[in-house]
Amino acid sequence: MTATVLGLAVVFLLLNLLAGLWRIGAGPTAADRMLAVLLFGSTTVALLLIMAQWLGDASLRTVALLFVVLATIVTLAFVGTPSDQERP
Amino acid sequence: MTVGIVVDMMLGLALVALSLRVVTGTALFRDIVLFILFGLLVALSWARLGAPDLALAEAAIGAGLTGALMLMAYRSIGTDTEERPVRRRPAVALVVAVLTGSLVAVIGLAALGIERVPDAAGDAVLEALPGTGLRNAVTGVLLVFRGLDTMLEMAVLLVALLGAWTVLGDARPGRVHRVDRRTPLVGSLLTVVAPITLLVAVHLLLAGTDAPGGAFQAGAVLTGCGVLMVLTGTLRPTAVAGFATRLLVVAGLAAFVLVGAGAGFAGHAPMTLTGTWAVYLIETAMMLSIALTMTLLFARARGLRGEGS
Repeated sequence: MTATVLGLAVVFLLLNLLAGLWRIGAGPTAADRMLAVLLFGSTTVALLLIMAQWLGDASLRTVALLFVVLATIVTLAFVGTPSDQERP
Repeated sequence: MTVGIVVDMMLGLALVALSLRVVTGTALFRDIVLFILFGLLVALSWARLGAPDLALAEAAIGAGLTGALMLMAYRSIGTDTEERPVRRRPAVALVVAVLTGSLVAVIGLAALGIERVPDAAGDAVLEALPGTGLRNAVTGVLLVFRGLDTMLEMAVLLVALLGAWTVLGDARPGRVHRVDRRTPLVGSLLTVVAPITLLVAVHLLLAGTDAPGGAFQAGAVLTGCGVLMVLTGTLRPTAVAGFATRLLVVAGLAAFVLVGAGAGFAGHAPMTLTGTWAVYLIETAMMLSIALTMTLLFARARGLRGEGS
Protein backbone atom coordinates (compact mmCIF):
# COMPACT_ATOMS: atom_id res chain seq x y z
CA MET A 1 0.00 0.00 0.00
CA THR A 2 2.67 2.48 1.09
CA ALA A 3 4.83 1.40 -1.84
CA THR A 4 2.02 2.14 -4.28
CA VAL A 5 1.44 5.59 -2.82
CA LEU A 6 5.16 6.38 -2.96
CA GLY A 7 5.30 5.12 -6.55
CA LEU A 8 2.34 7.30 -7.49
CA ALA A 9 4.11 10.27 -5.89
CA VAL A 10 7.12 9.56 -8.10
CA VAL A 11 4.88 9.46 -11.17
CA PHE A 12 3.26 12.75 -10.14
CA LEU A 13 6.63 14.46 -9.68
CA LEU A 14 7.86 13.11 -13.02
CA LEU A 15 4.76 14.61 -14.65
CA ASN A 16 5.74 17.90 -13.03
CA LEU A 17 9.16 17.63 -14.68
CA LEU A 18 7.55 17.12 -18.05
CA ALA A 19 5.27 20.10 -17.46
CA GLY A 20 8.33 22.23 -16.74
CA LEU A 21 9.65 21.27 -20.18
CA TRP A 22 6.99 23.55 -21.60
CA ARG A 23 8.56 26.53 -19.85
CA ILE A 24 11.97 25.67 -21.32
CA GLY A 25 10.48 25.51 -24.78
CA ALA A 26 8.38 28.64 -24.36
CA GLY A 27 11.01 30.80 -22.62
CA PRO A 28 10.97 33.59 -23.56
CA THR A 29 14.06 34.86 -21.66
CA ALA A 30 17.10 32.89 -20.59
CA ALA A 31 16.19 33.59 -16.96
CA ASP A 32 12.84 31.84 -17.41
CA ARG A 33 14.62 28.78 -18.73
CA MET A 34 17.17 28.88 -15.92
CA LEU A 35 14.40 29.06 -13.34
CA ALA A 36 12.89 25.98 -14.96
CA VAL A 37 16.25 24.22 -14.46
CA LEU A 38 16.23 25.17 -10.78
CA LEU A 39 12.67 23.85 -10.50
CA PHE A 40 13.86 20.63 -12.09
CA GLY A 41 16.70 20.45 -9.58
CA SER A 42 14.32 20.80 -6.63
CA THR A 43 11.90 18.27 -8.12
CA THR A 44 14.76 15.83 -8.69
CA VAL A 45 15.77 16.16 -5.04
CA ALA A 46 12.17 15.40 -4.01
CA LEU A 47 12.10 12.46 -6.43
CA LEU A 48 15.33 11.03 -5.06
CA LEU A 49 14.14 11.36 -1.45
CA ILE A 50 10.89 9.56 -2.24
CA MET A 51 12.72 6.94 -4.29
CA ALA A 52 15.08 6.33 -1.37
CA GLN A 53 12.04 5.35 0.69
CA TRP A 54 10.27 3.58 -2.16
CA LEU A 55 13.21 1.44 -3.30
CA GLY A 56 14.65 1.12 0.19
CA ASP A 57 18.03 2.49 -0.84
CA ALA A 58 19.27 5.00 1.73
CA SER A 59 22.26 6.05 -0.37
CA LEU A 60 19.91 7.84 -2.77
CA ARG A 61 19.62 10.51 -0.07
CA THR A 62 23.32 11.24 -0.61
CA VAL A 63 22.61 11.74 -4.29
CA ALA A 64 19.86 14.19 -3.33
CA LEU A 65 22.32 16.05 -1.08
CA LEU A 66 24.74 16.32 -4.01
CA PHE A 67 22.07 17.84 -6.22
CA VAL A 68 21.27 20.47 -3.58
CA VAL A 69 24.93 21.45 -3.25
CA LEU A 70 25.75 21.46 -6.94
CA ALA A 71 22.66 23.35 -8.10
CA THR A 72 24.40 26.48 -6.80
CA ILE A 73 27.29 26.04 -9.25
CA VAL A 74 25.05 26.05 -12.30
CA THR A 75 23.17 29.02 -10.84
CA LEU A 76 26.36 30.99 -10.27
CA ALA A 77 27.67 30.10 -13.72
CA PHE A 78 24.40 31.43 -15.11
CA VAL A 79 24.40 34.64 -13.08
CA GLY A 80 27.38 35.84 -15.07
CA THR A 81 25.90 35.14 -18.49
CA PRO A 82 24.87 38.24 -20.39
CA SER A 83 21.23 39.03 -19.87
CA ASP A 84 18.79 39.35 -22.73
CA GLN A 85 18.87 43.13 -22.45
CA GLU A 86 22.57 43.10 -23.29
CA ARG A 87 22.00 41.09 -26.42
CA PRO A 88 22.17 42.92 -29.72
CA MET B 1 4.91 -3.23 -9.36
CA THR B 2 2.80 -1.73 -12.13
CA VAL B 3 3.67 1.73 -10.81
CA GLY B 4 7.32 0.83 -11.22
CA ILE B 5 6.76 0.02 -14.88
CA VAL B 6 5.00 3.35 -15.41
CA VAL B 7 7.97 5.19 -13.83
CA ASP B 8 10.44 3.25 -15.98
CA MET B 9 8.45 3.98 -19.15
CA MET B 10 8.28 7.70 -18.32
CA LEU B 11 12.02 7.89 -17.61
CA GLY B 12 12.92 5.95 -20.74
CA LEU B 13 10.66 7.91 -23.07
CA ALA B 14 11.71 11.24 -21.57
CA LEU B 15 15.39 10.33 -22.02
CA VAL B 16 14.97 9.43 -25.68
CA ALA B 17 12.82 12.49 -26.43
CA LEU B 18 15.22 14.83 -24.61
CA SER B 19 18.32 13.44 -26.29
CA LEU B 20 16.65 13.94 -29.66
CA ARG B 21 15.81 17.54 -28.77
CA VAL B 22 19.33 18.24 -27.48
CA VAL B 23 20.97 16.91 -30.63
CA THR B 24 18.61 18.42 -33.18
CA GLY B 25 17.90 21.74 -31.44
CA THR B 26 19.06 25.03 -32.92
CA ALA B 27 18.73 27.42 -29.96
CA LEU B 28 21.99 27.21 -28.06
CA PHE B 29 20.91 28.29 -24.61
CA ARG B 30 17.72 26.23 -24.64
CA ASP B 31 19.70 23.15 -25.63
CA ILE B 32 22.20 23.69 -22.82
CA VAL B 33 19.28 23.85 -20.40
CA LEU B 34 17.82 20.69 -21.90
CA PHE B 35 21.20 18.98 -21.57
CA ILE B 36 21.33 19.83 -17.85
CA LEU B 37 17.83 18.37 -17.53
CA PHE B 38 19.03 15.30 -19.42
CA GLY B 39 21.74 14.86 -16.77
CA LEU B 40 19.12 15.01 -14.00
CA LEU B 41 17.03 12.33 -15.68
CA VAL B 42 20.07 10.11 -16.26
CA ALA B 43 20.89 10.34 -12.54
CA LEU B 44 17.27 9.43 -11.71
CA SER B 45 17.48 6.48 -14.08
CA TRP B 46 20.63 5.18 -12.39
CA ALA B 47 18.88 5.58 -9.04
CA ARG B 48 15.90 3.63 -10.36
CA LEU B 49 18.22 0.91 -11.73
CA GLY B 50 19.75 0.47 -8.29
CA ALA B 51 23.15 1.95 -9.12
CA PRO B 52 23.62 4.76 -6.56
CA ASP B 53 27.36 4.98 -7.29
CA LEU B 54 26.64 5.94 -10.87
CA ALA B 55 23.81 8.23 -9.79
CA LEU B 56 26.30 10.06 -7.54
CA ALA B 57 28.83 10.42 -10.34
CA GLU B 58 26.19 11.61 -12.78
CA ALA B 59 24.82 14.09 -10.25
CA ALA B 60 28.26 15.54 -9.58
CA ILE B 61 29.63 15.63 -13.11
CA GLY B 62 26.63 15.57 -15.40
CA ALA B 63 24.33 17.95 -13.60
CA GLY B 64 26.83 20.15 -11.79
CA LEU B 65 30.13 20.53 -13.62
CA THR B 66 29.17 19.91 -17.24
CA GLY B 67 26.26 22.33 -16.93
CA ALA B 68 28.52 25.03 -15.50
CA LEU B 69 31.15 24.33 -18.16
CA MET B 70 28.59 24.68 -20.95
CA LEU B 71 27.20 27.91 -19.52
CA MET B 72 30.75 29.29 -19.31
CA ALA B 73 31.40 28.24 -22.90
CA TYR B 74 28.12 29.83 -23.98
CA ARG B 75 29.22 33.01 -22.27
CA SER B 76 32.59 33.12 -24.00
CA ILE B 77 31.16 32.28 -27.44
CA GLY B 78 29.33 35.58 -27.36
CA THR B 79 25.80 36.68 -27.75
CA ASP B 80 25.15 36.42 -31.46
CA THR B 81 24.51 32.69 -31.55
CA GLU B 82 21.12 32.48 -29.87
CA GLU B 83 19.06 31.35 -32.88
CA ARG B 84 21.71 30.21 -35.28
CA PRO B 85 20.35 28.51 -38.38
CA VAL B 86 21.90 25.11 -38.81
CA ARG B 87 22.64 23.85 -42.29
CA ARG B 88 21.38 20.31 -42.42
CA ARG B 89 22.51 17.59 -44.76
CA PRO B 90 19.74 14.98 -44.76
CA ALA B 91 21.67 12.44 -46.84
CA VAL B 92 24.66 12.41 -44.47
CA ALA B 93 22.36 12.36 -41.46
CA LEU B 94 20.46 9.39 -42.89
CA VAL B 95 23.66 7.39 -43.51
CA VAL B 96 24.97 8.14 -40.01
CA ALA B 97 21.59 7.31 -38.45
CA VAL B 98 21.32 3.99 -40.29
CA LEU B 99 24.90 3.02 -39.41
CA THR B 100 24.60 3.90 -35.71
CA GLY B 101 21.16 2.32 -35.59
CA SER B 102 22.45 -0.95 -36.97
CA LEU B 103 25.44 -0.85 -34.63
CA VAL B 104 23.13 -0.43 -31.61
CA ALA B 105 20.84 -3.18 -32.95
CA VAL B 106 23.72 -5.60 -33.48
CA ILE B 107 25.18 -4.97 -30.04
CA GLY B 108 21.73 -5.17 -28.46
CA LEU B 109 20.90 -8.46 -30.19
CA ALA B 110 24.29 -9.88 -29.25
CA ALA B 111 23.75 -8.78 -25.64
CA LEU B 112 20.34 -10.48 -25.56
CA GLY B 113 21.95 -13.73 -26.62
CA ILE B 114 24.63 -13.69 -23.91
CA GLU B 115 24.06 -16.36 -21.29
CA ARG B 116 25.06 -15.74 -17.71
CA VAL B 117 28.48 -17.25 -17.14
CA PRO B 118 28.43 -19.24 -13.88
CA ASP B 119 31.80 -17.99 -12.60
CA ALA B 120 31.50 -14.35 -13.68
CA ALA B 121 33.82 -11.73 -12.23
CA GLY B 122 30.96 -10.07 -10.31
CA ASP B 123 30.33 -13.14 -8.17
CA ALA B 124 34.04 -13.57 -7.55
CA VAL B 125 34.26 -9.95 -6.36
CA LEU B 126 31.33 -10.32 -3.96
CA GLU B 127 32.89 -13.52 -2.64
CA ALA B 128 36.34 -12.02 -2.11
CA LEU B 129 35.10 -8.65 -0.83
CA PRO B 130 34.96 -9.48 2.93
CA GLY B 131 38.69 -10.27 2.81
CA THR B 132 39.55 -6.73 1.72
CA GLY B 133 38.00 -4.95 4.69
CA LEU B 134 35.79 -2.95 2.32
CA ARG B 135 32.03 -3.20 2.17
CA ASN B 136 31.39 -1.26 -1.03
CA ALA B 137 31.91 -3.57 -3.99
CA VAL B 138 32.51 -0.64 -6.37
CA THR B 139 35.39 0.73 -4.29
CA GLY B 140 36.69 -2.82 -3.97
CA VAL B 141 36.79 -3.26 -7.73
CA LEU B 142 38.25 0.18 -8.37
CA LEU B 143 41.06 -0.04 -5.86
CA VAL B 144 41.73 -3.66 -4.98
CA PHE B 145 40.67 -5.92 -7.82
CA ARG B 146 41.25 -3.59 -10.78
CA GLY B 147 43.69 -1.18 -9.17
CA LEU B 148 45.90 -0.99 -12.24
CA ASP B 149 43.00 0.28 -14.36
CA THR B 150 42.22 3.01 -11.83
CA MET B 151 45.88 3.98 -11.66
CA LEU B 152 45.97 4.32 -15.43
CA GLU B 153 42.81 6.44 -15.25
CA MET B 154 44.69 8.83 -13.00
CA ALA B 155 47.49 8.84 -15.57
CA VAL B 156 44.97 9.73 -18.28
CA LEU B 157 43.72 12.63 -16.19
CA LEU B 158 47.29 13.85 -15.73
CA VAL B 159 48.00 13.56 -19.45
CA ALA B 160 44.81 15.52 -20.17
CA LEU B 161 46.02 18.34 -17.94
CA LEU B 162 49.51 18.29 -19.49
CA GLY B 163 47.90 18.40 -22.93
CA ALA B 164 45.78 21.38 -21.92
CA TRP B 165 48.88 23.11 -20.53
CA THR B 166 50.71 22.50 -23.80
CA VAL B 167 47.87 23.98 -25.81
CA LEU B 168 47.77 26.88 -23.40
CA GLY B 169 51.42 27.58 -24.27
CA ASP B 170 52.73 30.84 -22.98
CA ALA B 171 49.32 32.43 -23.18
CA ARG B 172 48.16 34.35 -20.17
CA PRO B 173 45.65 32.39 -18.10
CA GLY B 174 42.13 32.46 -19.42
CA ARG B 175 40.20 35.50 -18.34
CA VAL B 176 37.45 33.88 -16.35
CA HIS B 177 34.36 36.03 -16.53
CA ARG B 178 33.70 36.49 -12.86
CA VAL B 179 30.51 36.86 -10.95
CA ASP B 180 30.56 40.00 -8.86
CA ARG B 181 30.53 38.96 -5.24
CA ARG B 182 28.86 42.21 -4.27
CA THR B 183 25.83 41.03 -6.17
CA PRO B 184 23.10 40.37 -3.60
CA LEU B 185 23.20 36.78 -2.36
CA VAL B 186 26.32 35.69 -4.27
CA GLY B 187 28.77 36.45 -1.46
CA SER B 188 26.65 34.94 1.27
CA LEU B 189 25.85 31.96 -0.95
CA LEU B 190 29.58 31.33 -1.33
CA THR B 191 30.27 31.50 2.40
CA VAL B 192 27.53 28.93 3.03
CA VAL B 193 27.96 26.60 0.08
CA ALA B 194 31.77 26.33 -0.17
CA PRO B 195 32.23 24.81 3.33
CA ILE B 196 29.28 22.49 2.72
CA THR B 197 30.82 21.17 -0.51
CA LEU B 198 34.03 20.50 1.42
CA LEU B 199 32.08 18.58 4.07
CA VAL B 200 30.15 16.59 1.48
CA ALA B 201 33.35 15.72 -0.40
CA VAL B 202 35.06 14.41 2.73
CA HIS B 203 31.89 12.54 3.69
CA LEU B 204 31.74 10.87 0.26
CA LEU B 205 35.41 9.94 0.50
CA LEU B 206 35.06 8.34 3.93
CA ALA B 207 31.72 6.71 3.16
CA GLY B 208 33.18 5.22 -0.02
CA THR B 209 34.60 2.18 1.76
CA ASP B 210 31.22 1.06 3.10
CA ALA B 211 28.56 2.79 1.01
CA PRO B 212 28.26 4.42 -2.41
CA GLY B 213 30.84 7.16 -2.78
CA GLY B 214 34.57 7.25 -3.22
CA ALA B 215 37.43 9.29 -4.59
CA PHE B 216 35.90 10.09 -7.98
CA GLN B 217 32.62 11.40 -6.61
CA ALA B 218 34.38 13.23 -3.79
CA GLY B 219 36.83 14.72 -6.27
CA ALA B 220 33.98 15.90 -8.48
CA VAL B 221 32.25 17.59 -5.53
CA LEU B 222 35.52 19.20 -4.46
CA THR B 223 35.91 20.41 -8.05
CA GLY B 224 32.51 22.00 -7.58
CA CYS B 225 33.94 23.93 -4.64
CA GLY B 226 36.94 24.97 -6.73
CA VAL B 227 34.75 26.05 -9.63
CA LEU B 228 32.59 28.11 -7.27
CA MET B 229 35.69 29.89 -5.99
CA VAL B 230 37.03 30.48 -9.50
CA LEU B 231 33.67 31.77 -10.66
CA THR B 232 33.47 34.26 -7.82
CA GLY B 233 37.11 35.31 -8.09
CA THR B 234 38.13 33.95 -4.68
CA LEU B 235 40.68 31.86 -6.54
CA ARG B 236 42.48 33.54 -9.44
CA PRO B 237 44.11 31.63 -12.30
CA THR B 238 47.87 32.11 -12.68
CA ALA B 239 50.25 31.40 -15.56
CA VAL B 240 52.79 29.49 -13.48
CA ALA B 241 52.32 26.16 -11.76
CA GLY B 242 53.88 26.30 -8.33
CA PHE B 243 55.54 23.38 -6.58
CA ALA B 244 52.47 22.63 -4.47
CA THR B 245 50.26 22.58 -7.56
CA ARG B 246 52.55 20.17 -9.38
CA LEU B 247 52.77 17.95 -6.31
CA LEU B 248 49.00 17.82 -5.84
CA VAL B 249 48.33 17.15 -9.51
CA VAL B 250 50.49 14.00 -9.48
CA ALA B 251 49.55 13.00 -5.91
CA GLY B 252 46.91 10.45 -6.92
CA LEU B 253 49.12 8.66 -9.41
CA ALA B 254 52.15 8.90 -7.12
CA ALA B 255 50.31 7.47 -4.12
CA PHE B 256 49.11 4.57 -6.24
CA VAL B 257 52.57 3.85 -7.62
CA LEU B 258 54.36 4.20 -4.28
CA VAL B 259 51.92 2.02 -2.33
CA GLY B 260 51.85 -0.54 -5.16
CA ALA B 261 55.62 -0.67 -5.52
CA GLY B 262 56.06 -0.68 -1.75
CA ALA B 263 53.89 -3.78 -1.54
CA GLY B 264 56.09 -5.33 -4.22
CA PHE B 265 59.27 -4.64 -2.24
CA ALA B 266 57.65 -5.91 0.97
CA GLY B 267 57.16 -9.31 -0.60
CA HIS B 268 53.52 -9.06 -1.70
CA ALA B 269 52.46 -9.07 -5.32
CA PRO B 270 53.02 -5.60 -6.79
CA MET B 271 49.98 -3.32 -6.66
CA THR B 272 48.31 -5.18 -3.79
CA LEU B 273 46.90 -2.93 -1.12
CA THR B 274 47.93 -4.32 2.24
CA GLY B 275 45.17 -2.74 4.29
CA THR B 276 42.35 -0.22 4.43
CA TRP B 277 44.91 2.48 5.34
CA ALA B 278 46.26 2.13 1.79
CA VAL B 279 42.75 2.54 0.40
CA TYR B 280 42.19 5.70 2.43
CA LEU B 281 45.61 7.11 1.52
CA ILE B 282 45.21 6.50 -2.21
CA GLU B 283 41.61 7.71 -2.27
CA THR B 284 42.52 10.95 -0.46
CA ALA B 285 45.38 11.61 -2.86
CA MET B 286 43.17 10.77 -5.83
CA MET B 287 40.42 13.10 -4.61
CA LEU B 288 42.84 16.01 -4.29
CA SER B 289 44.43 15.32 -7.69
CA ILE B 290 41.08 14.96 -9.43
CA ALA B 291 39.71 18.13 -7.86
CA LEU B 292 42.76 20.28 -8.61
CA THR B 293 43.18 18.93 -12.14
CA MET B 294 39.56 19.56 -13.07
CA THR B 295 39.51 23.00 -11.45
CA LEU B 296 42.67 23.95 -13.37
CA LEU B 297 41.13 22.67 -16.60
CA PHE B 298 37.98 24.64 -15.85
CA ALA B 299 39.94 27.83 -15.15
CA ARG B 300 42.27 27.32 -18.13
CA ALA B 301 45.15 27.93 -15.74
CA ARG B 302 48.46 26.43 -14.69
CA GLY B 303 48.01 27.42 -11.10
CA LEU B 304 45.66 29.12 -8.72
CA ARG B 305 46.27 31.82 -6.18
CA GLY B 306 44.10 33.26 -3.50
CA GLU B 307 42.54 36.64 -3.95
CA GLY B 308 44.93 39.40 -2.99
CA SER B 309 47.97 37.14 -2.56
